[in-house]
Parts: sequence; C-alpha cells; structure tokens
Amino acid sequence: MIVCVAVVGHQNNPLYIQSFTEADDALKLHHIVHCSLDVIDERVNNPKKSGTTLNEAFLGLLYPTLNYKVYGYLTNTKVKFIMVTTDLDVRDTDVRSFFRKFHAAYVDAVSNPFHVPGKKITSRTFAESVSNIVRSYTFN
Amino acid sequence: MVEPVNSPLGKMLLEEVSPVVMVLCTPLVEETFLKNGLSFVETLKPFCNFSNIDVPVRTSSDQLYRLKKFTLRLFYASDIRQPNVEVAKQRLEHVITQAGEKDFQDLKSDPPQISDILSNPESEIAPTWFQYYNKELIRTLSFSEHEAFDHPVACLLVVSSKDEEPINKFVDLFNTNRLPSLLNDGAMDPKILKHYLLVHDNQGATTERTSKVLSEMRGTFGNNECNLLCTNSSKEGNVEHQANPWASFKSSASAAGKLGCVLTGDDIVEIKDLMQEFTSRHIIPYMEQKVRELNQQISATRRGLKNQFKNLWWRKGKDDVPDSTKGPMYTFSSTESQIRILGDYAFMLHDYELALSSYRLISTDYKLDKAWKHYAGVQEMMGLAYFISDQSKKEAEYCMENAFSTYMKLGKSGFQNATRCGLWWAEMLKARDQHKEAASVYFRICGEEPLHAAVMLEQASYCFVLTKPAMLHKYGFHLVLSGDHYKNCDQLNHAIRTYRSAISVYKSTTWSHIKDHVYFHIGQWYAIVGMHDVAVRNMLKVLDCGYQSKATQEIFLRDFFDIVKKTGTKHEVVGLQLPIIDISSLQVIYEDHRTYASQASALVEESIWQSLEDDIIPSLNSGKSNWLELQSKLLPKKYRESNVCVAGESVKVDLEFRNPLLISTSVTSVFLICELTANPDDLKLVDKEPSNSSLGPESSTEHNLGTTSGFSSFTLSEVDFTLGGGEKKLVRLTVTPHEEGILKIAGVRWELSGSIVGVHYFQSVPVKAKTAKGRRKNKLTPTDALKFLVIKNLPRLEGSIDHLPGKLYAGDLRHLVLELKNKSESPIKNLKMKISHPRFVSPGNHEEELTTEFPDCLKKGHEQNIVQRETNGTNSVFAFPKDVSLQGDRSLRWPLWLRAAIPGTISLYFTIYYEMENVSSVMKYRTLRMHYNLQVLPSLETSFEITPSPSRLQEFLVRMDIVNRANLDCFQIQQLSTVGCRWGISLLQPVDTILPSKSLLAGQALSFFFMIKDCRKSGTEEEKTMSLPPSLTDVKLVTQDDDEKLFDIVNSPLASFHESERSCQGASDKSSPNTVDFILISRLAKSSNPSAVPYLPEILSHHSCHNSIRSSNPLSWSLDCPQTIYHNFATSLCEIKLNLIIRNTSNGLSSVTIDTVDCLPDTAAPTPSSVNQSGWRYVPSVTEEMKVTSDVMGSRLDKPPSSMESSPPFIWSGLSSTKVQIQPLSTAEIPLQISVFSPGIYNLSSFTLKWEVSEHENASSGTCEGYPYYLTVLQSE
Repeated sequence: MIVCVAVVGHQNNPLYIQSFTEADDALKLHHIVHCSLDVIDERVNNPKKSGTTLNEAFLGLLYPTLNYKVYGYLTNTKVKFIMVTTDLDVRDTDVRSFFRKFHAAYVDAVSNPFHVPGKKITSRTFAESVSNIVRSYTFN
Repeated sequence: MVEPVNSPLGKMLLEEVSPVVMVLCTPLVEETFLKNGLSFVETLKPFCNFSNIDVPVRTSSDQLYRLKKFTLRLFYASDIRQPNVEVAKQRLEHVITQAGEKDFQDLKSDPPQISDILSNPESEIAPTWFQYYNKELIRTLSFSEHEAFDHPVACLLVVSSKDEEPINKFVDLFNTNRLPSLLNDGAMDPKILKHYLLVHDNQGATTERTSKVLSEMRGTFGNNECNLLCTNSSKEGNVEHQANPWASFKSSASAAGKLGCVLTGDDIVEIKDLMQEFTSRHIIPYMEQKVRELNQQISATRRGLKNQFKNLWWRKGKDDVPDSTKGPMYTFSSTESQIRILGDYAFMLHDYELALSSYRLISTDYKLDKAWKHYAGVQEMMGLAYFISDQSKKEAEYCMENAFSTYMKLGKSGFQNATRCGLWWAEMLKARDQHKEAASVYFRICGEEPLHAAVMLEQASYCFVLTKPAMLHKYGFHLVLSGDHYKNCDQLNHAIRTYRSAISVYKSTTWSHIKDHVYFHIGQWYAIVGMHDVAVRNMLKVLDCGYQSKATQEIFLRDFFDIVKKTGTKHEVVGLQLPIIDISSLQVIYEDHRTYASQASALVEESIWQSLEDDIIPSLNSGKSNWLELQSKLLPKKYRESNVCVAGESVKVDLEFRNPLLISTSVTSVFLICELTANPDDLKLVDKEPSNSSLGPESSTEHNLGTTSGFSSFTLSEVDFTLGGGEKKLVRLTVTPHEEGILKIAGVRWELSGSIVGVHYFQSVPVKAKTAKGRRKNKLTPTDALKFLVIKNLPRLEGSIDHLPGKLYAGDLRHLVLELKNKSESPIKNLKMKISHPRFVSPGNHEEELTTEFPDCLKKGHEQNIVQRETNGTNSVFAFPKDVSLQGDRSLRWPLWLRAAIPGTISLYFTIYYEMENVSSVMKYRTLRMHYNLQVLPSLETSFEITPSPSRLQEFLVRMDIVNRANLDCFQIQQLSTVGCRWGISLLQPVDTILPSKSLLAGQALSFFFMIKDCRKSGTEEEKTMSLPPSLTDVKLVTQDDDEKLFDIVNSPLASFHESERSCQGASDKSSPNTVDFILISRLAKSSNPSAVPYLPEILSHHSCHNSIRSSNPLSWSLDCPQTIYHNFATSLCEIKLNLIIRNTSNGLSSVTIDTVDCLPDTAAPTPSSVNQSGWRYVPSVTEEMKVTSDVMGSRLDKPPSSMESSPPFIWSGLSSTKVQIQPLSTAEIPLQISVFSPGIYNLSSFTLKWEVSEHENASSGTCEGYPYYLTVLQSE
C-alpha cells in the first residue's frame, strides 16, 4: 500500500504532500520524505552508480526503512516525486509506471495558468487524480 | 587523512588496549594517599601515560623496534571483575545528566545558524562529552572472559612502612582468597609479574623503620622487585600545583585545589620515576619475554602445515560434542587462550603483524568450535589491528562487520559487545571520512534502551553534518529522533539541545508540519525546565498554523497561553503572528487641506476629486504669488515631501487583521504606536519651550509613548474585537495629535487574549497612503509616508446634507438643505462649491430661501424669483455670495435642489472650497469633500411626437406617449408645460376620457394628444417675445381641485434643472428653433407599499427637450380664403381670390414652384387618389351648419363616393405656375385665383408645390400635393 506521496520543489520546498493512512503518522511521513531528499541529492550528485540510467527520471529505491520503502523520481525541472510504500515486494516497473502517471497528473496541475510555480499545489483535481492513481497501485 | 595512530580511535586503543596492572594495597597506604584527596591508584594514574617511553622491544622477529607511546592501566584487585550491569547503567546515566547540566546555560541563546554549524571545525561539531561517554560505555565491558587485553599483566603490592609486619602483609596481600574471582576460576592467568612497593609517609613514619623494612623486603622478594616510594613530604599541606596533573582525572572541580596538597614537586618526580622504571624495566620486558615464549610454543604446536591439519582433524572430532549456548569454556592455559593472549600482548606492544597472525590463527579455531563470542572478539581485534597498522581498509571493515553481526547474532548478551564494536567501527569509519557509513553504524547500535539510543542517534546526526556534502535533512531527522528519546528518559536538557540544533535545519524551510512539531515541543520543554521566556519565543513560531487541524491548533494555543501565564508578565512580541496583519491593506486617511465629510468620501479615488476641484482651487503659482517665501519658510525642505496634517484632527489608519486559525481569538486594546517629536526647525524659528520637546528625546522608548497617552501630546483610539476562525476584520485606528511637530506612526500594538502583547512595526513595506497630491507617494520611503508634519490648528468645515434619500424615482424633485458647520473659533470665507452632477443637484440662491412648504413654493403665485442664472452651463462652480462667511462655531444652512435626472446608481460628489481668515499658515484654503450615492429607480418615461397640423400653419399636434416603468407605484400626472414663451399648449381631449382612473398604474402606457401653437410673431424669429401669457404654456392634467395652482416652470429649480437637462439631452442642432421642450410634472399616487421609498416624493418632473417637429417636407402652407361664398351666378361667374401662405420651416433658403392643375378630373390623372378628392361634391342638405373642421383625419375618413364626378369644375384663373424664393423660417403669400361657374363645394387641392431647399451644402427637393380644402359656393339670393 502506498502510504504517502510527495512533490518537492527544486529548492527542497514541499509542494504537495499527502498521506494515505488512517493513523496519525503524518509527522513521521513528513520526516521520511524530508530525509529522503538527502538521498536524492546524493544520487543526483554522484551518478556513477547509475551510468546507464543517466537520463532516467526514475531514481529507484532511495532507502529502505524498517517498515517502509521510499522511491524517488526527478523531473527535468528538478521537481522531486517521492513515494513511500509499505509493500516490501515491489517491482521496479510498477513503480516506474506509477511515477509516470503521477508525473502526468503533476504536469496537468502546473499547467493551470492560475498555478504559481514554486507555490504549493492546491488543485483539488490534482489531489483527486493522485488519490486515484495511488488507489490503483497496490504492488501485490 | 590522519594517521590511524593519531586518530581518535588510535588514541582510544592506546588507552584502552594497554597492559593492566592489578594493585593490591593495605588500608594504611590508602590512608596515606587520601591526605591528598586521592586514592593510591588515582595518585599514580597521571603518570601511567608515557608519550615517549623509548623502550627497545623485540618480539617474535629478530627486528628490534622502539616503543614510543605507552600506557598502563591500574586497577585495584577488587575492580578486576565484570562490572555490574545496573551500576554501569547508572553511571552512564549520571554521565549524561552531568553533561546535560553542564551546557544548560547555553540553551538560552538562539539556535545556531546552519551555516555556522557547517563552517565549524570537525572537532567542534559534536559535544565533547560523547568521547567521555563512549569511553565509559566501553569500560562497562572490561574484564570480559573472551578477551585477554584486560588480563592483568603485573601485580603491584603496596604496603605502608607504618604497617605492622610489612613482610607478612605483602604475603597476605597476594593471598588467593582475596584475589579477584577471574584469576581464581582460571579465566586469567594468576601467575603474573609481582612487584613490591613500600610507601613511606614522611608525615608520620620514621625513616629508620622504613629503611629497615625495605632491606628486609629486598631480602625476601629480591632486590629488583622492591621499591620505596616516599611521599607526603610537605609538612604544611598547602602545596599548589601549577598544572595539577590530577585535575583532568577527577571531575569534581571543587576539590581540585586540594588535590595533591601535601605532595611536593620532589614527590611527584619520584612517583613519575617509579612508574617509568616499573614500566620500562619490568612490565615491557616481561611482556616481551612472554610474547616470545608463547610464540615459540605456538609455532611448535600450531604453525606449519602439519600442525594445521592435525588441529583440523582434532577439531572435527569434537563436532559431536553438543554446543552449549555460551560455547566451550576456554581456560587461560588452553591453546586457544594462549594464542589470544599472544595476540593481545603483541597488540599492546604495537607488534600488529604478530597480533594479526595470531588472531587469524585463532579465529578459525573459534569458528570451528562455534565459540561465537570469542570469534567475534577476535574478529574485532583483527579489524582494529588492520586499522591501526594502516593495512587493507576492506579487510578491516569486513572484520568489523563480521564481528558486529556475530555479536548481534548472540542476542541480548552480545549486544553490549556489539555496541563497543560498533563504536570502534564508527570511529574507524570516521577516521577514514566515511561519515555516512559511521552514521549508519551508530544507527545500528541504537538498541532498545531509549537513553542509549538517544546518544547514539545524536552521534549519528553529527556524522551527517560531517559528510561531504552535508546531509542536513538526515541531520535534522536524527536530532529529532534523538531528542524524542532523550525526552522519554527525562533528559530534558539534552532533548532541548538536540531540538535546538534541529531548528537550525528546519528554520528556513517550508516544511511547516515538521517545523511546528519541533518548535512546539521545544517550547514545551523549555517551559518545563523553567525557561518561560525562551519557551514563549519558540511557541510564537507555531501560532500561525492555519493548515493544522483544529484540535492541533487548540492544543498549540492552550499550551502557549499556559506558558505565557506562567511567565507572569505580559510579553511584548515584535512580529506576533496572531492575528496576521495584512500590510497591503494598510491605508492611511488623513486630512490636510482636503477634508472629508464622511468615511465614504475619503475612500473615493483622488482623481475624481481632483478633476472636480480643478476649477476652484487656486493653482500653486497664481494662488500663492509669494510661494517662494511661503514654501521655504514654513515648510522646511526635508518636510516638503512629507504629509501634512492638522493638530486636533485625527489621522486614521485602516488595517486588516486576519485570524489564520480555526479558533476564534480575542484581540484587545489595539492601538497605534506613534511618536510626536517637536519640529526641529520650529525650535529655531519660534522660541518653543521644552514643553513640547518633552517627547523628543524619548525616541528610544517610543513604543511606550502609546501607553502613556493620558498626558502625552496625542491621543490614540483603542479597539477591541474578536476574530472568528479564519475571519478578516478591517480595523480603523486613529491618532490625534494635539501639538505641532512631526508625527510618526511607527506601528501597531495589540493584546492577544489579554495575555500577550503583539507589536508590529510598519517599516519594510510600501504603504498605500492617500496623500496630499492624490498620487500614491511611492517614491517616498514607507516611513516617510507614515510621517506627518503636524501644523497648527485650523478651522475645519463640517458638512452634511439633511434627508438625502438613498433611493428615489427618476424625476423626483427634492428640496434639501446643505448644512455647513464651522466648529473652530476662526471664521472662514470665500466659500465655493462644485457639484459633480449639476443635472442632479442645483444649489439655491439664498440662504433659507424657503418660506413656504415645499411643493407649493414652486407653484405660481408665490414670489417669483425668475433669476436668470448667469453661470449656467459653462462652469458649474457655485460661489456663495461674498457676504457669506462662517464665523466660528456657527452653521450655515443652504438650500439645495435635488432632481433625480436619470435612473441608475449615481455617485454625487460635492466639494466645497473655503479660505481661512486670520490664519497665517501653510494652508490658505481647505476643501470639504462630500460624497453620496443615489439609487434612482425608473419612473415615468415620456416620448413626444409632434406633427404639423395640416390645417393650421402655426399649430402642431403633439402625441405624448407615457409609460410607467416603476415596479409598484402609481403616478398621477399633474401638468404638462412647454418651456419658453413660444409654444402655447392645449388639450385635445379632456383628461377624464383618457385617464379615468386618474393615476397611471405600474407598467401602464398611455397616449395623450395635445395641440401646440407657435405664438411667435412671424418675422421676428430670434427675439423672444413675451407676448404669450405664461399660463398658456401649461396644461393641467388633473381635474379635481381646480383651485390648485399650476407649477411655475420658470421658477428657479425647475428652470435651472431644465437648463442642465437641455444641455445633457444635448441635441446636436441646438440652434434649431423648431424644437419644443416639455416638462411633465407628476406626483406619486398613494403608494401601495409605503416602505418601498423612505421619503415619499412630492413631485416629479420629467423633462423632454429638443422634440423636433416630425415632418417630411420643409414647407407648410395653408390656403387663406373664406369658406363659404355667396355669389349670384346669374350675373357672372364667380372669381374667388385665394391666398396661399407658405412657410419655410427649414433652415435653408427654399425656392417653391406652385403649379395649379386645371385638368378635369375625369380625364386621366396620374394619381387617382388626389383626383378623386378634387372636383365637385355633393352639397349637404344642411347648408347652414357647414362643418368647419380642420381635422384632417376626419375628412379623410369620410371619403366621398368615387362615382360623384359629374361636377362642374373650377378653373385656376390666376397664374398657372409661380416660383418664389422663401427665406429660412419665413412665410410668403402667393395670391391665387379660381373661377367657379356654379354653386357647389369645391376641393381646392389640385395644386402641387415643388420645392428645393438648399440648406448649407445639402440640397433637397420634393413635391407636395395640396391638402383638400373645401370651398362652398352658394347661390346668393
């Protein structure tokens, strides 16, 4: 189950963060997302490991915590997508396609002429489409 | 990179993996040393570290090398045991608590900037007490059975010379009963080097006895093994040591001065020498020898291929033995232990090659034996040996990893070892700049115990700072985690410290959720430790938490106010976030030479006023011919740009407060922070006494001025309000200066829930101020915009219009009174007024002109004041008569007429200009601005159609279509008048037949018909003749109460409104005289809904101007002749002279050709209709009562039967064709003549008029047929 998705701007400012759990663990998830930014920075700055996938937006598994797996995705505009899931057995292709859909939703949201770049995404349509995408992926 | 030996880990290893010396001493020895405040071991400790001992060592190989650094560890025999877990835990906790107390004072300061943290040198990032803690932590594991480096190498037996039978004491001391259990149960080798020391206390013992005991000792134990230590030489016991060697070992600072107080310098040197000798002469050679011995032994049994096979086979055989969980117990004498001892000794003697080979040898054995703890211990040592000998990094790491995971596999029992291993491993990684990996190691050794975890997490967090580039997000996260753990163990100081560091990470980010959490908790904790002011400071940051849930907001607020209450004082907080002040809403309204009658008028855009006032305000150059003097003297240069306000008049500031929360909050005593300083130039110019400047020097405490407004030179308004969840409120604050000077509005101040004071200074924002010249003074700095030059008290006119309705019907005519009040002493003069819509409002002529009741005064018979307004049209400035000057404290009531000209919403602007008398000031004049909004509802709508009467040259038919557009109300039509004296008007039908109900219902439409007559004398076009009695221009359309007088439309309000209507309805051909203006006067019938319009209208006037006469040709004509002629046809034919009067109604010269048509009607005629109507007609029998009518319509209706054509025709006997030129708007008479042969009725329409008009450039032409004109010729008797 995907428990949290986040969009983080290129100055590491949160643009959108939404958790999908009943429990009151928003703070924890915020921390996890915030922390994973370090890993993304590291990945981006030292791309030696991923020589073949240099041009790919998908950053792969950022880091596994005890209960969660954190995946990352970096757009051309240096906007980061972060996804936290509780599923432990996840195929990369699934995550890739998840991020592709998520990216499309994001592009739609920021194409809105009333959206101010660099400000939080407040579009209700975006929130809806994101929760639809999240619901359609269970990875198991 | 640092050399491994000099790295922190290298130093640690040198200290921790060093020979242990067991100390056995008698109580008297202890007593002797306690005089110095130190135990025996403590006394010796500082002298066990040798930085350059320089001892040659030869171990397994033949190579000699020199030891440089060396350390001994001294322990009492009673301490040589595995420490109690609980005690160790308490000690660690104590260490942490102490460390927390130590930096408690730092916590008050603001958190460090993240850039500062990053720029710190590496060693300063983590607090120093971590090293101490780690050391203590490692110490809790000393003397474990699976390791050999804690095995005592030597034993130091100490006896005081005061002891009875010292020799026996020595023997007793090494009695096996009193030895530590570890030595007795075989885990450690009890056969160790023994050294005997006799302590001589110079204070209490005699030297004779001592020397005697010493020689006795030497005899018993051997010369080399015995030493004498003379101590406590100082008699006074007040020796101060410059660099006290014990200070760093004893933490209690209070006793530091006393330490070693009876030891002289010589004593210290003696101790030093003793230790040096003991180490270099005894311990190192002993270890050297032991290493060589063991090495030989092991080489013989274990090294070499043969031995290895043998060993392997032998171990295989042991496989059947079931493993005990702890693995097989090895005694010191077992081969495995011997190898381990060899390795450890070699390690301690810095022969890492030998150590490594021994460890490698033993590790396979242990692995085969499944002695996991031993195995892990050996692996750990291998890793360390690899590290310190700077060999393969990979190997070292692999060993540490292996050791760590093996320890972890052991479960709880191995965890402590794993911790130590982890600490060493992390240090190792740190020494190699692999900080991130170190952090993950720290993270792995967190364990379950919160305090331990907290310390480890904190250490991990510092590693993240040290990584390049710094991983600040993780740094913050680990600090927060660590802080939470500290909090769980009630280590609040540490919790605060970690959160404080975390703040520096989150401070500048927009991760508000995390930020709020950090600030809120650190605030709470500060409050718990009693630092309420810091707590409040931190809590303030979470107040703007509109995005949090309501419950969270409530918790935040509740705790915040609790803490604030605990502080006991009303904090003043600059930039309090609750409520939020919308600075863009800041609007300053003040009055300089422009004054406003109401709030609404102040908000009107300045450009409207400006355009209105253009005419009446003297321009700067013309008005102030002496502007040079005026400006430069009265306005100092630097204030010329600043705003001007008048003493005694308030400056208003509108400010919007917004509550970001979902909870309603109360905001009380909101007022402005102002500062009024004496004008420095005033002090120079006028001898102002310091009474005014009392506020001047207080600028440093400016915000306090507001609170003491009771006696200060300005007053402030105070506002209280409550903001609901998410509510916005616009609040008006005022300040009224009472003295001249410079007023500066610095900020605003408010109280939140009565417990905390918020202050906001207006500084960093551009201010939208309505300023003097109508422009937003953006070029000024914002502080200038809030700076006012206060000038002397001036008269200020207050104005209002009484009973101005907000809603009225179009055409409604009202009488209003403009009331002007001058409240000040000095009089004002030269009043002028301008109204934006002269069509709607017209000022009266005299003060209090109304003597009679309102609508009646408009009626005829009252005093006629037909004043031709000389100022009409061109400019609508109304100058009050010169003699009107308002004395102080008087009011002026001036009549105004209001007429709602057109439906819609109308903004009326009045500006009244006045000048001050007897005031020498910067301001010569002021203006009063009033603004009112009117909503005008549609009422009656009229349209007129005028057609020329066919029969009468000067008469016209008027059709008035009238529609009631009002929604509900009915109107009574009162009167219709034509304007000017030219047109007389009369009704064609009685009103009752048209409008029996007497009032026009809502939505009803009607048509009225009138006749108007041009009363102007022909030929005298342009002059206005008063020939017509005015009454003829009016038609009364009401039948009842006939005595009611008609309204006088030439009277001033109606006439003047008509003027403006004329100009507004603005027909282009204004000069065209053939237009008629009508004024319809109506009144409201009984309203069905009395509340719909608050003031019932008395009368309504509807003006319709420039109604032109609708006619297709520019000519009108009539035949002038008797209608009935008696003629005796017996004598002759009848010749009748006719006059055709043609009038040119156009503006151009027209030439008219008159053609008479003689042809008989029965011959073919081009236009049958005209032919049909010509000729003879049947003579009606009633010849006496000939119907004489000019009604065209009527005559057309009863068409004669077309068959009656057998009439004797008549002949045009005059000219058959005449051409005349007719001047514009003039008439010409053309004589015509017909001959009639028999009596009958003749239709004289058989002529045509061909006309050509050349009006300016436009020439037009056309043909008109004659109208039917019946002439009756009778036979005369």
